[in-house]
Amino acid sequence: MFSSYIERPQKCSFEGQDPGENILLLLRAHPITNFSWIIFSIFVFFVPFLVPKLLPFTGLNFSFIPANFILILLIINYLLFLTIIFEGFLYWYFNVTIVTNQKIVGINFDHLLYKGVDLAPLSKIEETDSLTAGIIGTIFNFGNVKVQTAGASIAIEMKNVPKAALVADMVLDLVGKPHEHITE
Amino acid sequence: MPIDGTTNLLNSDYILILGKGAILLILIFYAIFSLIIIRQVSLMGKTLITGISPIVKGFVIIHAGFAIGLIVLAWGIL
Repeated sequence: MFSSYIERPQKCSFEGQDPGENILLLLRAHPITNFSWIIFSIFVFFVPFLVPKLLPFTGLNFSFIPANFILILLIINYLLFLTIIFEGFLYWYFNVTIVTNQKIVGINFDHLLYKGVDLAPLSKIEETDSLTAGIIGTIFNFGNVKVQTAGASIAIEMKNVPKAALVADMVLDLVGKPHEHITE
Repeated sequence: MPIDGTTNLLNSDYILILGKGAILLILIFYAIFSLIIIRQVSLMGKTLITGISPIVKGFVIIHAGFAIGLIVLAWGIL
């Protein structure tokens, strides 16, 4: 369940899933996109080890700070570490796009106080575009997929999903097929 | 040795009380943040139902308990 490209996921459903509606594809951002917050969290983890070594260079005397204050500051540092991990993981884990045999569901979790769900019926989809760009995107084969529906600019945008070109093609192949005929 | 105003201020209890207040405020905000995480994970767990969602929810509840307990700890030891 921690993969970023899952075909026909087991033990997975979503709010508003209709009877007879099957999940064909579950997409998340490529795991490599988590690299930035993982590196930052590692840095924060090691801050308490670095600070005592760097303090003598500042020329300031912090010896007046009591030991219990230092202990609490240490704990706050590790709370910050936990926060970065939570925010990064939850953002990655809950930002998904689900392709079913009836519609595309985009679940957005941009930050902790935001929840967005975009729905696009397959029958309304007119065009899909994929874009794989940059060194990292090219090496790890991920990119953005935009799904356009009739009358709207961009209905759903999947960011940094693996095999972007394949996903765009797969979605377009589903368009126009009767629901009951969609098996793969 | 003469004591200037800055040293006197830093060594005073006043700065430590101010520090205690600031730390407690940070921890209260963190506890509120951890409760918001529970609410949001609960909402997202209903939106995307997977086998992992209850584990994530359990983890954030433990985390919130830890955050609230830390306020009590900080109040006690500072």
